[in-house]
Amino acid sequence: MIHLPKEETKLMVAVHGWSGILLGLLLYAVVLTGMAAVFAREIGIWSAGYIENGSVFERPIDRVVRDLAARTPARDHEGIDLFEVGDNNLGLFFHHHETEPSGELVNRGVYYQVDRDGRVVSEQRGTGEDVFGPRNDDALSSFLVDTHVRLHIPNPWGLLLTGILGLAMLVAAISGLLIHRHLFKDIFTLRRKASPVLVDRDRHSVAGTWSLPFAFILAFTGSFFSFFGTVGVPIVAMAAFGGDQQVLSEAVFGDPARPDPRARAIGNLDRITADAFRRTGEAPTFLSIENFGRADSAVTSFHNPGTGDIEPMTLVYHGATATFDRVKPSIGTRPSTGGMLAAIMGPLHFGNFAGLISKAVWFGLGFAMCYVTLTGLRLWLTRRRENARSLAWLDRTVSVVGFGLPLALLVAAAAFLAAMPLGSAVFWTPAAFLGACATAILAGFLSATNATLERVLQIAIGLLLIALPLIRLATGGPGWPQAIEAGQPVIMAVDLAMLIAGGGVLWRMLASHRSGLAEHPMLQPAE
Amino acid sequence: MSPQTRKWIRIGFAGPGAVIIALVIMAGMTLWLPRGAAGIDNLVLPLVLVPLIWAALFFHACLDSKPARIALVALGLFALHAGLVAHKFLDRPVAKDERK
Repeated sequence: MIHLPKEETKLMVAVHGWSGILLGLLLYAVVLTGMAAVFAREIGIWSAGYIENGSVFERPIDRVVRDLAARTPARDHEGIDLFEVGDNNLGLFFHHHETEPSGELVNRGVYYQVDRDGRVVSEQRGTGEDVFGPRNDDALSSFLVDTHVRLHIPNPWGLLLTGILGLAMLVAAISGLLIHRHLFKDIFTLRRKASPVLVDRDRHSVAGTWSLPFAFILAFTGSFFSFFGTVGVPIVAMAAFGGDQQVLSEAVFGDPARPDPRARAIGNLDRITADAFRRTGEAPTFLSIENFGRADSAVTSFHNPGTGDIEPMTLVYHGATATFDRVKPSIGTRPSTGGMLAAIMGPLHFGNFAGLISKAVWFGLGFAMCYVTLTGLRLWLTRRRENARSLAWLDRTVSVVGFGLPLALLVAAAAFLAAMPLGSAVFWTPAAFLGACATAILAGFLSATNATLERVLQIAIGLLLIALPLIRLATGGPGWPQAIEAGQPVIMAVDLAMLIAGGGVLWRMLASHRSGLAEHPMLQPAE
Repeated sequence: MSPQTRKWIRIGFAGPGAVIIALVIMAGMTLWLPRGAAGIDNLVLPLVLVPLIWAALFFHACLDSKPARIALVALGLFALHAGLVAHKFLDRPVAKDERK
């Protein structure tokens, strides 16, 4: 327990409140979409109805890479990134490294998408940022991730904003810890029969305190990711290498092998993927080839963290001979403190280090963070209600955002399911989201009371949650037997989760109605 | 020192001051941190630690009862790291001249 003097405690209470009130609603949007984005892969499978199980790297890829290399300019053989796209299709980005006039390091080249029969279904040219946009079949998960990462604001401003939100969350988490005079007592105190203000305060305090370590980790890792490329890399490159980001990248990620530009055909890539599978027990998540067609070519195979580990695994192969070279840390050429810390930032932020279990925990704690953010805003408003009636607009805004945002995300999901078979999901997913946001805002203006507004929005959320699995089936998505037969139980799991969550929301509304409560008990400000 | 002056010193060092000084510390750290086994610790650790450095500066500015100490610590760290970066840049042409 930390005992601050009275003045400092008052200051920390003010810092805690204002850090939430100034950026709380944006933070809520980032945390809510981040919570959903934890399951971005599963949502992608569910929404697009992918029924191909297994990895694209379990199929032969060697012939495809050689054929595409033959039709790609030689300068784009400097690097080839291979990864899975859509329903077991292969994405290949042949590229070379360039430094923009601004000093930013970019990859420019040709991006192919190849279906499971080896046919090129898409070919695009440009920088990585140009070609890796949302596709018709991943528009929903891309939309979720893009909202979380940069709130759809162009880079670098979107990343800077989410980085600042991460710092605000860090401040709220640390100041929240400092203002607890009786931390261990507070985390077990839920006074159900106390006044509504105390009930809300207890719930906010309990949820906030239990999720405090998680909030700290998320805020720290999230702001690291946001500031890494936008601010951190340019400044470190300036200080260490006179601003040359290419030299910094080579120093951190580079291969110490001596350059050997002699022409030499690459070894069998299928042998490499098979060997990587044998060594790690799973197919690569990503494959990278450096200097394709040269004697010094190297193939790096990236894998999820192994059992009981939190750092991803990386294997390096000699490209020309397709023989195993070494296990490499994710960052740097040899194990180091800095490399290990940087490497675990991703798993800690995405919660993917122990499969579905860690993802479920991260999702649950993300939900707790959303709850803490909203209840915190409500408590702040409640304390000032008597002195400042002009804050009623903020109270209404909290209701509109708090319940309107999840509703808009569900409407976007419904629009995606309807538009994907027509090939127009990239347009309709964000369009439906914006339409639903506008409707929620309009409802905020038109509703007589906050209670009515929240009730209507929650009923809509419950109904949509129940309707989404039905819409998925009606628009041609695979049924449960087909999904299970194909080894994709995640489709059924997401359906069930939605039905249970929707039923739960409606049940709560019904129970509130029956017990005569006018407002949502959890988020109710004291009258 | 008037309470108003103390308040503005606190706001200055917790707000823009913490951001600027954290970025300068990040730049300066690349020059004194040990390179580590892989030769990258001095490049990677500042990138990883900058949110925590900012938070430490922010909370120190909020919680230290003596504004003079807040200014001393923050400006001391700023001067040390800005000086290291400046020395590196000023040193570079001299090194080239020497090679000639």
